[in-house]
Order: sequence, then structure tokens, then C-alpha cells
Amino acid sequence: MDTQRVVSVIAAGVVATGVISGTLIMLEVQMRYAMHLFDAVARFVGLPGQRFLGFVIYSFAGVVVWPLAFLALRPYLPRGPDPAAQGAVFATALWVVFVITGSGGLDGPILVVYLVFTLLAHWAYGFTLGAVYGYLTGETPTARGEPAAW
Amino acid sequence: MGRIPGIVLLGGALLALATVALWRGRPKRPRRDGGYVTGLDVGTEKPANFVVRWLTTVDHRDIGVLYLLLGTVAALWGGVDGMMIRTELLTPTTTVWDVETYNALFTTHGLTMLLFFVTPVFTGIANYFLPILIGADDMAFPRINAIAFWLLPPSLALVRGGLITEVLGKGLEFVGVSVPILLDMRPVEMGWTMYTPMTAEMANPQIDVTLLGLHLSGIATTIAAINVIVTVFCERDEDVGWANLDIFSWGMLTTSAIVLFAFPVLGSALVMLLLDRNFGTSFFAVEGGGPELWQHLFWFFGHPEVYILVLPAFSLISYVLPKLVGRHLFGFRFVVYSTLAIGVLSFGVWAHHMFVLGMHPQLRAAFMVTSLSIAVPSAVKTFNWIATMWYGRLRLSAPFLFCAAGVGIFAIGGVTGVFTAVIPYDMRVHDTLYVVGHFHLIIMAIIPFSMFAASYFWFPLLTGRLYDRRLARAQALTMIPGVLLTFLPMLVMGNDGMPRRYAEYPEIYHPHQIVASIGALLIGVSVVLWLINMIQSYRIGIPVRDADVWDLKETNQFSREWRWFERRLAKQGGAAVGEAPEPEAETRQAEAMVEDWDEDDESDQSGGDASDAGDDHADDDHDAGDDHADDPANRGGADEGQGE
Repeated sequence: MDTQRVVSVIAAGVVATGVISGTLIMLEVQMRYAMHLFDAVARFVGLPGQRFLGFVIYSFAGVVVWPLAFLALRPYLPRGPDPAAQGAVFATALWVVFVITGSGGLDGPILVVYLVFTLLAHWAYGFTLGAVYGYLTGETPTARGEPAAW
Repeated sequence: MGRIPGIVLLGGALLALATVALWRGRPKRPRRDGGYVTGLDVGTEKPANFVVRWLTTVDHRDIGVLYLLLGTVAALWGGVDGMMIRTELLTPTTTVWDVETYNALFTTHGLTMLLFFVTPVFTGIANYFLPILIGADDMAFPRINAIAFWLLPPSLALVRGGLITEVLGKGLEFVGVSVPILLDMRPVEMGWTMYTPMTAEMANPQIDVTLLGLHLSGIATTIAAINVIVTVFCERDEDVGWANLDIFSWGMLTTSAIVLFAFPVLGSALVMLLLDRNFGTSFFAVEGGGPELWQHLFWFFGHPEVYILVLPAFSLISYVLPKLVGRHLFGFRFVVYSTLAIGVLSFGVWAHHMFVLGMHPQLRAAFMVTSLSIAVPSAVKTFNWIATMWYGRLRLSAPFLFCAAGVGIFAIGGVTGVFTAVIPYDMRVHDTLYVVGHFHLIIMAIIPFSMFAASYFWFPLLTGRLYDRRLARAQALTMIPGVLLTFLPMLVMGNDGMPRRYAEYPEIYHPHQIVASIGALLIGVSVVLWLINMIQSYRIGIPVRDADVWDLKETNQFSREWRWFERRLAKQGGAAVGEAPEPEAETRQAEAMVEDWDEDDESDQSGGDASDAGDDHADDDHDAGDDHADDPANRGGADEGQGE
């Protein structure tokens, strides 16, 4: 694993974490705090109730841990060779774990909204991660060979 | 020192400055002699710095793209509002969000969608394509064009301020700074119609900020409209007369004329409301103009506004549909006349929003007649679109699906509108979900449908790449049933008497609401598909090699913007060949865009000459000997010769 790729993927992680954080904050405010997203984040990182510490660990995971995991897992992820599409697949897996640990006491319609919007936020994370990584390393294919690859 | 009033200090300072200025005399300036200014380098290159380039651009195409981006952001934001409304209505009681949130949602949903989604997107399309279509170098006033755009982001921030200030406030609290006013400004809950006396009396300070934001957006829209009008009148190329002005430009011209007369009325009304709220005037107080005055002023803007929204959609459909079905627009002249007729009539129908207000019956009947009569030009258009498709070569591409479905659902929305123009039925359904269903069947069908159609139709031209055909069709086929499922139940509920703007409803409507919410979910999925397609195709789509992606030369409709695109491709030809995709992919490219090929037997249809770069309008469509003359036998690979 060469240094240039590691640096690129961490830089991508910074951007992607910024994107998902912004999305989650806007969602939380737009939803008038009905979703308790930051409590979910705290639960997700194993520190229920401690939002600030939870936020720190969440940032570390978003910037360092997941990007490195993405880099290691990339050869096995579907939707290649576009790293952005692979990032979205990767983030879908993250989202599954997130909703299992973090959905808390939500149920009914609000749970559906929670699931949909957190999935979209995770996709934004994964897509940004892959897209920025691909941009920095030049691994983004210039053209898709097949019109209906998606 | 503390006793001296500030005005004296200020006056003294100004006096001192004036004295210095007088003493130093007028600055010596070179005399103007009508000669050339020398020593000024006026570059035409765009700045290399990405941020500087996009912040300072005055290029009509760049500004068009900025408009489209802003419109997309606003649409997604307003769409989240819409999804939240539908979520609340999944249950008969307010179990998801509270009533205040619900009221804020339908308010901000309406304002965002009308003023920050639809208008900017159509202005963006006009900015990009109108100068190309009429043969102008740019808009008439490029800098004012940039100003008109850059007024919009702040006005969006002002209108939706309640949320933004809250994010700021919470963020500051997080780092230990408390700014209570930021948290006091809550999202507005007044409805997009902002009826007085309610809005004059609501305490929320955010309402003032929202009114200012609306006023600012009105200024931006008016400036952009003036620019469009002047561009069409003064910047047309020699060979573009009124007789052969394209239908999209006619639509944008009429729309801009409506804007010019409608938006200043809104602006004035908003200022009056601001004065009533903050400075003790009584424009809309009972002892002054009365609350009815607001409704007259608002709807004198508000009804033309719906035509400001829908006329560009009409003209886009009229522009794109004939190209997709391989026929010329049926009754071109009458489509133009109907556009103009709608533009004029739109100002004569405002009072049909006020039938239940207690108007004199004769006056009410007069407004009923004008409201019914505006259905006539709309129907003219509808029949002309249908006649255009008649015997056309229908290819089920995504933009065609959107055009056809747009026309069909517009017919439903239009006919339900005729009912609301009829006084007795309007009395029955006024302020019910029927009205919401009716107008959404128009503004959620033909308007975004025409935008989607345009986004696919012009995607190759805008990005130089091809979109994903299968994903696009999937998007169309999710969106169309989604819209019908969402808004048809509203007609039923409204006819039954279910009022609009209620977060709670009787149990009996539960199934209808569930269906509507499922429809909304489909719309949401469809929008995500569109977004994925646009982003991914822009990033890694197959490069366009042949400008005639829609096979327009065959039917003599290879219009000006595509010829412009062809010249651009030819110019880039040398560079593009280096990174050409493998031949196999290139072969698929032709299949990708032009679905359901029927092997027409024409042998020598025309085609623009790729080599006529720089020669704008030299005999557009009938150049012989072009380097990629259509050869039906070689359909799939027809573009291989292109650019080489």
C-alpha cells in the first residue's frame, strides 16, 4: 500500500466526513430534532449519551478508519472500476451497521424517513470518498465502456 | 466629548473632507477624445483558478449552469420538505412532527419550490440556450446577468433563514457562545400566500427576514427577465426574425414580460407588509386598506406567477417534443399565439382565488369567464402537441416519456383547473386538498417533466457525454406513476371536503394519504436516480463523438444549438481523438442515445457540415458532402468518422 494512495484516501475521508456531517446537521435541524442523529452517532461509536466524545470518535472513523478500510477492500467491492461507485457500495455496508446500532427508539413513519435519509447521507459519504480518491490518484476511469453499467 | 451628538461629528468630518477635496482640486484625468483606450488588457480567457472563475463569471453559459445548480439544490431542499409533509400525513394524528413543524414545512416547501427551484432552473436554461438559439454572443447585459444570479443565493438563505440561523446558533452554543436571536428565528409558518392579518401579527422575527428575502428574489427575477427581453429584442442574429424565432425563445420572452408586470406588484405588497409589521402603517389593517387588499395584490402577482412557472415548461415541451418524434411542431404559429394569449390573460384571472371572499356576483361571474377562457389557449397547445405526435416516429426515450406524460398529466391538471374556475364548484372545494391536487398535477408534472426532458435532451450538449439510457428510462417510469399516485388521491379527498394545510385528518382518509405518501416515495426514488445519472454520466459517461445524437438531421431539425455543438466538437476533434473510447463502446454510443431504431430508408438526408466552423448560419441543414453523411447501413457506427 503506497503512501500516495493512503494520503489520497485520507484526504478524501476529510472531504467525505465534511459532507456527511453537513448533511446530518441540516437533516437534524430540518427534522426539528426528531431523529436524534447525534445520539445515534454516539451509540454507534459505543458511547451512548456522550455526544462530544462520540463526535470525536465519529470524525476519526470517518477520516481515517473507513477510508483505510475502503482502500484495503476496494479490489473486492463491486461496481468498479469507478471508485466513487465502489465507495457508495462500501458506505451502504456502513449504513447497515449504523442503523442496527443507532436507530434507538424510533418507530413507525419516522423510522422510514430516518432509514432513507441516513442511507442517502451515507451514500453521499461513500461517493465523495471514492470520487475525491479517484480524482487525487487518477484512478477514475475516463469513460464507462458500457452505457448501462449501472 | 460625550455631549456632542454624532450627527455633528459626522457633519464635521464630511465638511473636512469636502474642504480637502476643494483645496486639492479636481483630479487630473486624461481628456476623452474619442480615441482608443490603450494599455488596458481586456482578456477573454477565463481565470485559471476554479473558485475565482465561477464566482466572477459573466459568461451566459456559466451563469446558466450556476442557475441550474442553485435550482437543483433548492429543489432537493424543498423536496425534503415535501417528503416530511407526506411522512406526517402517514398517520391521522400528529405523531411524527408537531403542528408548528408541519405549518413551517408547507410554507417553506411552497416558497422554495416556486421561487428558488422552478424560476431559477428555467432562467438557467434560458441563459444557456437562448443566446445560442437566437445567434447572440451573450445575454444583452452580461454583468447584470451575473448580479441577477448572485442575488439569489442570499435571498434563498434569507427566506429559509430559520433553519440556517438555528444551525449557526447551535454551532455557536457548541463552542460556548450564546446568541439568543439566532435561536428565536424559527422557520416561518404563514403559508406561501402570507395572508394578512395573520402575517402582520405573527411575532416570529424570521418573517421579516423571509419577506426581505422574497423581495430580493423578486428583484433578481425581474432583472433576469429584463435581460431576457432585451436579449431577444436586440441581440438576434440577422437571420433570426420574429417569424422564425424558435418556440422556446417565444416562451421565455412572454414569461419575462409577465415577470416584468407581476413581480413588482409582489415587491410592493411585501414592502407594505414589512411596513405594517415594523413601522405601524396600516396598509392591511382593518382601519386602513383591509386584509382583502393583500389578497388582491398578492393574487395579482400570484396568478400570473403560475404562468411564469408553466410557460417555459410549455415552450420547452413545444421545442423538444417535435425533435423527439421527428416531426415539426404542429401549428407553430398558433402555439406562439396561445403563449401570448396566456401571457395577457394571466393578469385577468386573479380574483378567482377570492370567489369565497364575498365579491359582487356580477364581478365574480366576470372573473369566472376570464378564468374559463384561459383554458382555451392551454388546450390549443395540448392539441397541437398531440397532433405533433400523430404519425410521428415515437421512440420511447426518457425525454419523450417525460414529454408525453407531461402532456397527459397536464390535461388532468388543466381540466381539474377548469372546475375550480367555476364558481359553484370552487365554493365546494376552495381551500381543500382538491386545489392542492389540481395545481400539483400541473406543477409537479409538466414543469419538472419538461426539465427532466430537457436535462436528458441537452445532456450531451451540456457535458459532452452521454447519459445512461436505461437508468433514465427507469427514472421516467418511477416518476410518472409516482406523481399520479401522490396527487390523484388529493382530488378525491378534497372533493370530499378535506381541508388543505391540516396536519391531522379524519381516520377515513387514512388509505388515501398512505397511497399519496407511497407516491411521494416513488418521486423521491426517481429524483435520486436522476441525480445519480447526472453525476455519474457527467463524470464517466461515454464522450459524444457525433453531435447528431438525436438523429435530427434526418428530419431537418438539426437546430442552431446542435450546430453550435457540432462546431465545438469539430474544434475539439484533434484533442478528443487521443482519448477516444474503444470502437466497441463507440458503436454502442449510437445505440445508447437513439433507441428503437427503425431503419429508415432515406439515403441522403442532410447533415451539418462539421467543417463549417466559424460560418454560423451558412445554409444550415443542407450541406452536401459532410464527413459523416448518414448511411443507414452503417447506422451503429455512423459516428466513427466524426472528429477524425
